[in-house]
Amino acid sequence: MKPAPFSYERPRDLDAALSMLAASRGSAKIIAGGQSLGPMLNLRLVQPELIVDISGLAELKRAEVSRGELVLGALITHADIEDGRTADVTRGAMRGVAANIAYRAVRNRGTIGGSLSHADPAADWISSLAALGARVTLRSLAGARTMAIEAFVVGALESALHAGEIVEAIHVPSRAASAHWGYAKSCRKTGEFAHAIGAVLIDPVAASARVVIGAIDTTPIVVTDAAELFGGRIVADYKQRFDARVADDLLTKAGIDDAAQRHIHVRVLKRAVLEATA
Amino acid sequence: MTTVALQVNRRAVEVSAEPRTSLADFVRDKLDLTGTHLGCEHGVCGACTVLLDGVPARSCITYAVTCAGADITTIEGLDEDEVTTELRAAFTREHALQCGYCTPGMLVSARDLVLRLPDADERRIRVGLSGNLCRCTGYVGIVRAVQSVIEARRARNIAPLADGGRTSLGPAGSGRAMFGGDEPEPAPRVSVPASDGAAPVRISDFVPATVLDQSFTLPHAPTKVLAMFDDIADIASCLPGVSLTAPPTPERVEGMISVKLGPIAASFEGVARVERDPATLSGRIVGVGTDQRSRSATQGEIRYRLLPLEGGAATAVELSIGYTLTGMLAQVGRSGLVRDLAKRLVAEFAGNLDRHMAGAPSGQVAAAELSGWSIVSDVSRAGLARMFGRAFTGKGGAE
Repeated sequence: MKPAPFSYERPRDLDAALSMLAASRGSAKIIAGGQSLGPMLNLRLVQPELIVDISGLAELKRAEVSRGELVLGALITHADIEDGRTADVTRGAMRGVAANIAYRAVRNRGTIGGSLSHADPAADWISSLAALGARVTLRSLAGARTMAIEAFVVGALESALHAGEIVEAIHVPSRAASAHWGYAKSCRKTGEFAHAIGAVLIDPVAASARVVIGAIDTTPIVVTDAAELFGGRIVADYKQRFDARVADDLLTKAGIDDAAQRHIHVRVLKRAVLEATA
Repeated sequence: MTTVALQVNRRAVEVSAEPRTSLADFVRDKLDLTGTHLGCEHGVCGACTVLLDGVPARSCITYAVTCAGADITTIEGLDEDEVTTELRAAFTREHALQCGYCTPGMLVSARDLVLRLPDADERRIRVGLSGNLCRCTGYVGIVRAVQSVIEARRARNIAPLADGGRTSLGPAGSGRAMFGGDEPEPAPRVSVPASDGAAPVRISDFVPATVLDQSFTLPHAPTKVLAMFDDIADIASCLPGVSLTAPPTPERVEGMISVKLGPIAASFEGVARVERDPATLSGRIVGVGTDQRSRSATQGEIRYRLLPLEGGAATAVELSIGYTLTGMLAQVGRSGLVRDLAKRLVAEFAGNLDRHMAGAPSGQVAAAELSGWSIVSDVSRAGLARMFGRAFTGKGGAE
């Protein structure tokens, strides 16, 4: 349970980190809080030659609201969000998600950028940020590119990150005053990875909804135009109009063959819908 | 080795350590502070919880070198701490420990709850302590002890510390180091000797622990697809990550499969036996393989069956993939990730087969780097995913 030997570098800025990553030709891993990579190193599932520690880079610890969206540096921790040390444009939605990730000792070091990079389908940010309509900026020596969260996760543990590229920032749009937020997950034990996640952002005034069915062992199901889940239109009584059969069909289409699994996902999504509040 | 300078229990410490040395091993082995306990060593059990810049952190999955300049407080540094003193008295009173192994981590986490949650009821305390496992007490005494301290402090009107006393952003313990790192000496790598190959490996039958069913269709006649399945070298060239280490015979194939799941990579080397039943358009490939690096072994089989479609113009390929994994990689498991990987790899395999049968040069079709799906060990990769999972079953998604 001790990692295989590795070399260690602590770059002074992001450019230096990217240069180290580029020079390593795939034999290096970035470490931030290390709460996903640490266990994998200890179990020797991952044996990089070089660890590049970006945890000290102040430029990745910014959290600011700009042009109506929150921009979080990759190194913002779950506890930073939970405690409200960062600004919030989601009216508490992100705080609620952060407060229920793993355990406090993990949240004190685990970062939002690291969690996304790891691309575990059962992790909280992948699903919740997709529902909130967030985007992620990736940076390499060649420059930066920004994409929707749902485009970033391409499969279990597989993200759109190219070699030499890291998550730089997360952009979270403001949640409309009329938008309801609901988030539910099912864990066999508190703090464990979820077996099912439901995340909904429903705006009955704007008649729009984003619905995410997550923790399905692959890329979450992200429904950006979710009217069909609510009988064709999104209105004030959407909770009564929620159609479990449509959700079940979505899961079947996503290849979830096991009816019991689909049942759990549908129930958790329904819970997120029923618990959604303004 | 690199020099790590930090403060432990308010004392400046400068000790050389390998980059891979965890903070827990650092305080235990280098500083003789053995009150920090190691249980699971992958962030699940909480026995190693210490204060890092004043807030709880897992010292088993935090490397000492990443904490340069930080303030570490272990259980030994909490002797005079006001809250911990109250908690110790309460633990004694409520019989909140038996063997004591979890207690140092439990006290560090409990102290944090007392500071942050002045209104916590039993449920919140239980949730707050869910990252610290105790195998003796059933938690009843622990929860009661923590609750009594919280209530006593509330009665004394002691203000909470909602953020646990942390004011800066980013991972606890970070950002206090000078820049630079390890001297750029390459980490020693143990080169793995190839299996000697002298003793022929026996391929025995087995009952797979896990079976995955996959299928796809090809726009070619079943006889043509069957011929393709009969040509081991051809089929291997369509399997991502697979290479043959010896010329195959119709019955036996020796090869290697490199598999990759996220950041995990492994190479299984092994042999497979090929069985065919042309009459029923079906066959079976059964093999064994080992990954030297993780000292893991796998047994796997692929059963395939071809069904004519569209009057014989196309073929449905039904695959049943079974495997059993032993060794280090088998200790961890989240089978769901396997299904996703298997689906993606089967799709890749099907695409390669189709292109190959349409006449694309075989050198190109298998060019995709390691995401192997192999005759010998599609299985091993699947196993990888399984193994990989359990490391994380204890924690929510957190880098």
